[in-house]
Amino acid sequence: MNNYKVQILLNNLDKAYRGPIVPMKEWDTKIIPKTIKHVLKEHNLLGTLDEENPINTDPELADEYFKAGWDLAIELGLYCEDTERVIHVTEEELYESMRNYQAVNILGDGQDTVIMKPRRPEDPYPPLLAASLGIVCSEENYIPLVEGIVKYNKLVDVLHGPTLATVFGRPIRSGTPYETLAGNYESELKKEALWRAGRPDMAKTGVNSAVTEFGHFGGAASVAGRGNVTQSLCPVELKCTFSNFHRNIMGLNYGHKLRTGGFSYIGGYAGRPEGAAVACIANDLLLTTILQADYVSSYVYDIQLFGNCGRKAVWANSVSTQAVSRNTNIMRNKIVNETGGPCTEMFMYEAAVGLMNHSVSGASKTTQPRSAGGRFTDYITPMECWWCGNVFKSTAGMSLKQANEIAKKILPKYEHKLGKLTKEDQGLPVNECFDLANHVPKENYRELYTRVRNELIDLGMPLNNVFGEWYDEFLKKRNVYSYGF
Amino acid sequence: MEEILKKIGDLVAEGEDEDAVEATQEALDMGIDPMVILQQGASKGMDLINEQYNNGEAFLPELVLAGDAMTAVIDLLFANMDSDAAAGTKLGTIVIGQAKGDVHDIGKNVCSALLACNGFEVHDMGTDVAPKAMVEKAAEVGANIVIQSTLLTTSLPYIADTLQYITDTGHRDDMFFACGGGPVTPEFATNMQADGWSRSSFDCVEMCKKLVTECKPGKQPIVIVNSEG
Repeated sequence: MNNYKVQILLNNLDKAYRGPIVPMKEWDTKIIPKTIKHVLKEHNLLGTLDEENPINTDPELADEYFKAGWDLAIELGLYCEDTERVIHVTEEELYESMRNYQAVNILGDGQDTVIMKPRRPEDPYPPLLAASLGIVCSEENYIPLVEGIVKYNKLVDVLHGPTLATVFGRPIRSGTPYETLAGNYESELKKEALWRAGRPDMAKTGVNSAVTEFGHFGGAASVAGRGNVTQSLCPVELKCTFSNFHRNIMGLNYGHKLRTGGFSYIGGYAGRPEGAAVACIANDLLLTTILQADYVSSYVYDIQLFGNCGRKAVWANSVSTQAVSRNTNIMRNKIVNETGGPCTEMFMYEAAVGLMNHSVSGASKTTQPRSAGGRFTDYITPMECWWCGNVFKSTAGMSLKQANEIAKKILPKYEHKLGKLTKEDQGLPVNECFDLANHVPKENYRELYTRVRNELIDLGMPLNNVFGEWYDEFLKKRNVYSYGF
Repeated sequence: MEEILKKIGDLVAEGEDEDAVEATQEALDMGIDPMVILQQGASKGMDLINEQYNNGEAFLPELVLAGDAMTAVIDLLFANMDSDAAAGTKLGTIVIGQAKGDVHDIGKNVCSALLACNGFEVHDMGTDVAPKAMVEKAAEVGANIVIQSTLLTTSLPYIADTLQYITDTGHRDDMFFACGGGPVTPEFATNMQADGWSRSSFDCVEMCKKLVTECKPGKQPIVIVNSEG
């Protein structure tokens, strides 16, 4: 156990019982919006949203956002919903947290070890990809799906894994014995799938069928040990619950790394995109300092578009990610919320813009994909995971300007459909576009993937970087049909 | 008269509940019919905040405060109407809450605020609400619509449990049951025999209006409102 982290967590838990009392409605509707507006005004950041340039290329703007986020973190603190009190931090506590922050996060074990490093904007060091997000998957598909997801070791580094639809055929009710059982069951299924895939010691990031501590406790023993991760998601930006403390203490008990997150919503309490960006920065600082996150999983989401692939959210994510990457070593897991589903152009374009943005802006890791917005059971295939790995890793080292120019070309291909998707854009369930027995795409997905990939290579995305340009040349010389992975 | 009605609308849209109530009292003292104040004053403020939110000029906190102001104005106006007029004016009483096990509240809060802005009496139970608590609250306040939402698949069973609890406690003929949220599909809602399903917050307002004006609880095919297409 990491006693230093335990002590800090306990000190902050004490503060959750002794900090100033604030009714939740006052926090949500008055304190948050007023303080954010005030901070944006103080730093001359109101009106800095630039929809014409969705990926920020101005380092001074990113630095000013960082200063604003720092001020916001000190002024607001983190709200504890259970006690309706505020956990404040001093500037000295923030400095101490930055001073003591680790140099790297080592995930996995043995041959499956990967190293997460702090990344700067335009950093050539490849970021890590965890797959998949908690998209719901039927029990019978779980093992072959996970085995397929982790098939390519240069594309997928960490197993996050789908969410189980049922446990032994029963619906999983959160906070009940069904969930406790699902925690262990999911962990065992993952181990089986990783063994089959020949990657037994790959890092696992907790239990995705769990939303309360019951499921996490249920699965933790099965994935105990250094190299694995406990995830702890806050309900919204700048708020936490005792469930977050529970999970982080549990993670330390089991020697896990702590991945802690809380999302900022454009249109929510933080208001406009500038507000969501500055709240996201404050979140990165506070979750590292108060909840002792080893890496933070916070990002900006657009309520009205049900995702974060529109211009406003892409811009807010770019400026907030760059702000923290340029000024601290905090490592962050930045998620893209696609709305298109498997086997659609929509998904591939959304992921391309979102992940290129996170990669060039300095994210250390992502967890992907959110295919079909995570709304439908079995709307997840390994292909989306591989595509995300291809984009996220190959774009490392691109300049912000290059990425911005490419994003401006891709966005018009899909942005008019955000928030009003057709049935076609929802895509296909796994069995209609992917062969789970052999872990290869069916012809419809193979054709689409190759076409969109080549189209984006023509636009300047270096998608063949993952395996090296030699590999594509090698395939061409041998006249071998390549779909890029 | 126009000036005071515009002032009431503006104050509702700005979420200034005390000032809006004061202006409403002023209008009543001037002898303006409560129904006129509602339709040509406060309702205009609701339209304004709806439009601002839709255009990305107003956000969740403004919606919540405008909803509070609207509720306060409606309470005062109803106190000054005869009971038949008041009953004919109120669109309905709603109990809304995030399903058990789910602490995400943003989408539900937007719905709640928009419903209040649009003339519904809204009782927001917050997050992680057990089926029994939802139904007991609905019975207590005489609600005619119960709405539950979730972003989590592990909370989906609780949505079905709430409808079951409504049925088992003999309230199925008294209240509509509707649901929504990320993994809550129209098929899920249809299979559980809910009365309504909507995709977005604005869709939720339309769905509730349809339910109270065109339907009877548990007596017709589900009302689905999906502006996404």
